[in-house]
Amino acid sequence: MLDMLPPKEWTLEAAAHLLNRAAFGGSPDEIQAFHAKGQREAVKSLLESGEEEDLFPAPGIKPMKKVRGLKDASMSPEERFALQKAINARAKEEVHEARMWWIHRMAETPFPAREKCVLFWHGHWATSIQKVKDPFLILQQNQTLRACAFGPFDRFAKEISKDPAMIRYLDLNSNKAGNPNENFARELMELFTLGEGHYTESDVQEIARAFTGYRINPETGSFLFSRKNHDPGTKNILGRTGAFDGDATIDLIVSNPQCAGFITSKIWNFYAGEYPSPSWNRILASQFRASGLRTGDFLETIFSCREFYSAKYRRRQIKGPVQWLVQTCKILERPLPDAKWINSTLQQLGQVPFAPPNVKGWDGGRAWISSSTLLLRYNMAGSLVRGGEASAPDIEKILPVGMPPEQTCDLLAGRLFQAPMSPALHARTVDFLKASDGSPASRRDLLHLLLSTPEFQLT
Amino acid sequence: MKHTLHTRRRFLRTSLLGGAVSWTIPAFLERTFFALDAMAADMAIQTPTGKDAPILIVLQMAGGNDGLNTVVPLTNDAYFRARPTLAIPGGRTLRLSDHFGLNPKLVGLKSLHDEGHLAIVQGVGYPNPNRSHFRSTEIWHTASDSAVTEKYGWMGRYFDACCKGEDPAVGVGIGNQTPQAFAAPEPRGITFARPEQFRFDLKNASDRDVSDGFFRSMNDFEAEQMDGASIGMLQGHADGEGDALDFLQRASLDAMMSSDKVAEIIKRTRPGVSYPANKLADSLNLVARLIGGGMPTRVYYAAQGGYDTHSNQIGAHEKLMEELDSSLAAFCSDLKAQGLFDRVLLMTFSEFGRRVAENASGGTDHGAAAPLFVIGGKVKPGLHGEAPSLSHLHNGDLIHRVDFRSVYATILSKWLNAPVEPVLKRGFPLMSFV
Repeated sequence: MLDMLPPKEWTLEAAAHLLNRAAFGGSPDEIQAFHAKGQREAVKSLLESGEEEDLFPAPGIKPMKKVRGLKDASMSPEERFALQKAINARAKEEVHEARMWWIHRMAETPFPAREKCVLFWHGHWATSIQKVKDPFLILQQNQTLRACAFGPFDRFAKEISKDPAMIRYLDLNSNKAGNPNENFARELMELFTLGEGHYTESDVQEIARAFTGYRINPETGSFLFSRKNHDPGTKNILGRTGAFDGDATIDLIVSNPQCAGFITSKIWNFYAGEYPSPSWNRILASQFRASGLRTGDFLETIFSCREFYSAKYRRRQIKGPVQWLVQTCKILERPLPDAKWINSTLQQLGQVPFAPPNVKGWDGGRAWISSSTLLLRYNMAGSLVRGGEASAPDIEKILPVGMPPEQTCDLLAGRLFQAPMSPALHARTVDFLKASDGSPASRRDLLHLLLSTPEFQLT
Repeated sequence: MKHTLHTRRRFLRTSLLGGAVSWTIPAFLERTFFALDAMAADMAIQTPTGKDAPILIVLQMAGGNDGLNTVVPLTNDAYFRARPTLAIPGGRTLRLSDHFGLNPKLVGLKSLHDEGHLAIVQGVGYPNPNRSHFRSTEIWHTASDSAVTEKYGWMGRYFDACCKGEDPAVGVGIGNQTPQAFAAPEPRGITFARPEQFRFDLKNASDRDVSDGFFRSMNDFEAEQMDGASIGMLQGHADGEGDALDFLQRASLDAMMSSDKVAEIIKRTRPGVSYPANKLADSLNLVARLIGGGMPTRVYYAAQGGYDTHSNQIGAHEKLMEELDSSLAAFCSDLKAQGLFDRVLLMTFSEFGRRVAENASGGTDHGAAAPLFVIGGKVKPGLHGEAPSLSHLHNGDLIHRVDFRSVYATILSKWLNAPVEPVLKRGFPLMSFV
């Protein structure tokens, strides 16, 4: 059994740590309220996932059918080219719309921990619009990730193998009996379930055969099993022999002892901020198995355990660009910036949802930071702090006047860092406050400067 | 430990400003500094810094440049048959040899050729070519095999293998997105489209001096302001391990130093010659100023877009050729005027060439192999590689004769004096264009 966090260690800072990591953080009031629930209730509330479709109606994107005109012989090449161009432009608009819908959902949902978990799984089952091309399929996959996020991993893997965006991304749609395409089979083993070194090349070939016949219905954009393309023959997979189909193959893989540990190591890294030691991961894996590979139950376990709150993890995770954006807006109690700003900023910072760089997902951690992306974060923080007319944060609430500088400094530390400032930052901030004329502009300057620090990039 | 950042700062300042800033520093710091220097010397290869280091510029002609209309096979009937409307008559081309001529718009490149500063590598590509812009660009940036997804870039691996401890601005990407070629576990290199983007923005601050002072004190770490709380976290040096805050502090110090240097150069330098008015020329002009101003950068990436000519190619492609030509011509005369031309090697590439046969829209579709240009004071001029056959095609596409990684290997080995295998993961035949 894991060592649970004793009630007396459930401090305001511990609560903030949990809310930051399990979700996207919050304002001081939100953190207060979260802390007041007590740890058990706080963790439970995170893992609830209620209906909210009425709050976030999904964009009405239709599957991109083969446009007849493109094959129409009576069409001139110019007309065909113009049609193709129009289709591409529409797809681009739709995927932007879907992306904004998701980011707003992260920032505004009553169930932010589920969205954070969806973000984790999006990096795990990484699939990009660059190749999938069809925004409907990408949005549909996002909904599948949400439906499966907290559920059992084996069911999740089966759903994803039949997810049309994944089918297209890893070429399952050209995988057929007699002429297998190994792309999905290889990544399933290497990146999704076991990791390199835990399967053979022959496993890859045999698994590819098991997933033959997975297709996409072009009319509805849903999964279609094509029996005539499926190879029903006997396969040898991971030392077992049988006429395995795709689902049976996933059962085989998931029951391999390596699988649970492969997943828990990634989950722990995502939430705690570093990969677990082999001995700690063995414990995590046995917890995951004990929970029937249900991610929600497993998260409840790690969010309750004492190790997760250890000082070595606190304020030691580099925020990813999406986390940085959503958490900063929550901290400043301001709405998200406009869609154009978000798109171009996330692109330059290196994390565009629905467009991970490749099937390995985002590296994360230190890879988020370069001289350019760090300066960009600093400069973008300036526009979040100052904002436009309607979106500027309420400076009177965040940084009220008429308070002793020391006290103001503590208030800021709590809001921005959820921890005391380093002595140097504290001293600099007090000096600034003492010298400041107290104008709203000068207070916004201070806020911008505090966001433009190495410390603020951590959570 | 407490002196690590201070030392790094001095190390950077020395290499950035060529020792222009002289501080009186305690002897033990000096020793640490020499230790860092020695560490650099221990690396796979000695990295020359300062005024003599060779510089590589990689220019992507994005969209898939039509190689056949760039270096025209003017005696090949198959070319004229496949392109009834797009073929450029031999008489219009700028003659390179009995069989090949340059696109008529490439007058500047023709002069560079004639004076011995242009090499043309023909038939460059890779096995099992991919015709997706995105994927094929990725293959060129990561130098991977077609079937393998590699997440780190070839330049990222080069920086890792050969430029440890060097300036963070060892690579400069001109654009809004870091070139994938720079991707590495701990990415190095800086990226900006305009120099003012690469600067802490004080224009909205009510008191710029106050804000600047605060910002510098929190990001430009002097030993004396490192307090007890954070010093404990500081360990390792240069690119060593350390905790996340330590890493971020180093990153912000690096950012400060590089952005100060860029700003200083932009303030001090003026364009040496007049450049045409287009985005590529702006990028190359910026590169020339950074080189001339003494940036310690070894690799620049720039791009020119628009080559995806599926329809009405003639006018569009000629315009792109003209833009490329006039920008490169200005860039080269700028470098020559500054006496820097011998230090620079510029290579172009495009993610793929185009289909041999023109399509029904007066354009060409995505293809495979294509020629590329290598320009510089020290290139071995003329035609290199081998032009692909126009009668023996694969699915209507040219079959490559030179793996693009042979071009990379040649540049690494003969220009950057770097070992090939740590960067490209295996050896490739070297060529003789440099």
